Amino acid sequence: MTALDLSAVRPARTLARRRTRTALWSLVAAALLVLLTGIALGTGQVSISVWDALRALFGQGEPGDVLVVQQFRAPRVVSALIAGAGLAMAGSMLQRLFRNPLAAPDTIGITGGASFGAVLMLATGASQQLIPLAAVGGGLLAALLLGGFAWRSKMAVTRLVLVGLAVQQGLAAAVNLMIVRFPAELASSALQWTTGSLYGRNWTEVWIGGTAIALTAAATLLCQRRVSVLDLGDDSAGGLGLNPARDRLWLLLLTITLASLAAALTGPVAFVALAVPHLVRLLAGPPTLGTLGLTALTGAVLLLSADLLVLHVIPVHGLPVGAVTATLGAPWLLVLMIRQGRLPQRSS
Amino acid sequence: MLRTDPPAPTAPATPRASAVRRPLLLAAGLCALVLCAALSLALGSRSIPLATVVDALTGAAHGGDADVVTGLRVPRTLIGLTVGAALGVAGAVAQGVTRNPLASPITLGINAGASLAVVAAIYTLGLSQPVEYVWFAFAGAAVAAVAAYAMSRRGGDLDPVRLALGGTVLTVVLTSWTSALMLASHRTLDEARFWLAGSIAGRHLDTLTPVLPFLALGLIGALAVSPALNALALGDETAQALGVPVARIRVVGGLAVVLLAGGAVAVAGPVAFIGLAAPHLVRPLLGNDHRWLLPGCLITGPLLLLAADVLGRLVVRPSEIEVGIVTAFLGAPLLAVLARKVAR
Repeated sequence: MTALDLSAVRPARTLARRRTRTALWSLVAAALLVLLTGIALGTGQVSISVWDALRALFGQGEPGDVLVVQQFRAPRVVSALIAGAGLAMAGSMLQRLFRNPLAAPDTIGITGGASFGAVLMLATGASQQLIPLAAVGGGLLAALLLGGFAWRSKMAVTRLVLVGLAVQQGLAAAVNLMIVRFPAELASSALQWTTGSLYGRNWTEVWIGGTAIALTAAATLLCQRRVSVLDLGDDSAGGLGLNPARDRLWLLLLTITLASLAAALTGPVAFVALAVPHLVRLLAGPPTLGTLGLTALTGAVLLLSADLLVLHVIPVHGLPVGAVTATLGAPWLLVLMIRQGRLPQRSS
Repeated sequence: MLRTDPPAPTAPATPRASAVRRPLLLAAGLCALVLCAALSLALGSRSIPLATVVDALTGAAHGGDADVVTGLRVPRTLIGLTVGAALGVAGAVAQGVTRNPLASPITLGINAGASLAVVAAIYTLGLSQPVEYVWFAFAGAAVAAVAAYAMSRRGGDLDPVRLALGGTVLTVVLTSWTSALMLASHRTLDEARFWLAGSIAGRHLDTLTPVLPFLALGLIGALAVSPALNALALGDETAQALGVPVARIRVVGGLAVVLLAGGAVAVAGPVAFIGLAAPHLVRPLLGNDHRWLLPGCLITGPLLLLAADVLGRLVVRPSEIEVGIVTAFLGAPLLAVLARKVAR
């Protein structure tokens, strides 16, 4: 990401063309989303056609189909959609706020914090219902550590990302310690929380997580005007009457909450948050309010596709979806970054 | 990941003062290392007086305590010394070759490659002893490092930024595969998790002997390129102008890193942060001259590893914490402090 976003000063025609492109891609993504949802709901031991599966989701059609779709398949599919959208939005926001193409909930330690919280809750033997809550707490703890170590009167971007790396490593060591000390059964559940997977989601988790993510995402969308001004650089934003340091802090807090909530639903799914914003930038240009919507749609589509691969294409039982997103996302991201020469600069 | 060039080596203000100071500091480090090794022999779930340790080493004492010293703690300490030295030197060379103060063997994907290979071996072949893991770990480390190098080739030379980025991405991918394998089989998870934490406990010297030739070769390579690394720190063009064969130095240096770090991970499992921390602790004391930095790391690496190992034995007696976890816990704050300095 370039340090200065010049989208505001581009001629109106370019802007209009870009808007059309964003709208078109959003339509494509939305159509894909519906189609893939239908396929995901319809595929399995009991095969249901895409149309019937979508109808069954809303309680229409044969009672048998409705039971299979609503009780067994929908929670997983909806989790994938919500978490994918949340992670992608959080990734996009972080890249803008940090002005660094490598900033993502994974790289600054937020999802690592979420794993830590979840595993810690496993260690205390509390009920399964509390684990997502602990994951959010862990994500915020990571954010606090990050702030505590990196906070100065002005936020230097490089420092934040590097300290994030340190926080990530420290929390990973804590998780590792628990994995080594746990009995074998528990170690497996703990490991699950470090990889990101979609097994065993239920409606309660989906409703609570979904509502929280939707609220946070809405708040993020409402703040977009402010983010656009911050994109102009701290000096310009200050000149326009904002308090850049304070605004950035609040926006960061919002974004971190969003990422932690998403990670609480699925665990840290690698590369979705990092790769999707780059893909969207490739499709529709620099981030604006419109592309943020496209980012959410793309994230949802990608995570759902990865999960479809896990469930129905790759013949390995119990494969975590995080392994697939990492395997597919990493080489692509690497090629993209090398080709565009958009490598981390000496910033700040 | 983020690249910031270290300051170029500067001539010390008073050459004569540093000519005295550097050997003195090295000697002091050596004394600290001997002390640490003695503590490593004496302390643990069962503390043994130093006099008994000396008697056991000279063969004068027999019985329970002496057997603990000669049978368990001597191999452990020797392995700790070797692994620490290998990691320290590997870190210094990796930072010099990539001109990136945050580079370490981990950046090349070495630890992740070794981990995946060992977990795959446990999964398919049902191995259960660290001594059986050695070759798999070494092979995995080498393959991962070669892959990281292959990704970062540009026109016959290595691009340091691509190397760091590629290695980091490679690490994430390999780690996710390792987790997937362990989730697929409880037995694999149960066997592998202790090795994956990184530990020098419960290993005999026969774990160490097969990799010793590789470590020696790596050390020779590292020492051979160390003068050229000084020129490399000035930038590729300047180094080229000074008559340094940049591409060849990078290849030899990279090979040395793979041999040293691969050998270390084969013996002890993935131990993080020693390779990163040792050069950073040595630099303020001995300066940026690689001819001094490398010997400094040769002493500081084992010092850190043994200190962490002894600490891990003491905090939860009579149980103990794996040395890899202790170094990660101690290393994280260090990295944070480093980040503040680097990104000032």
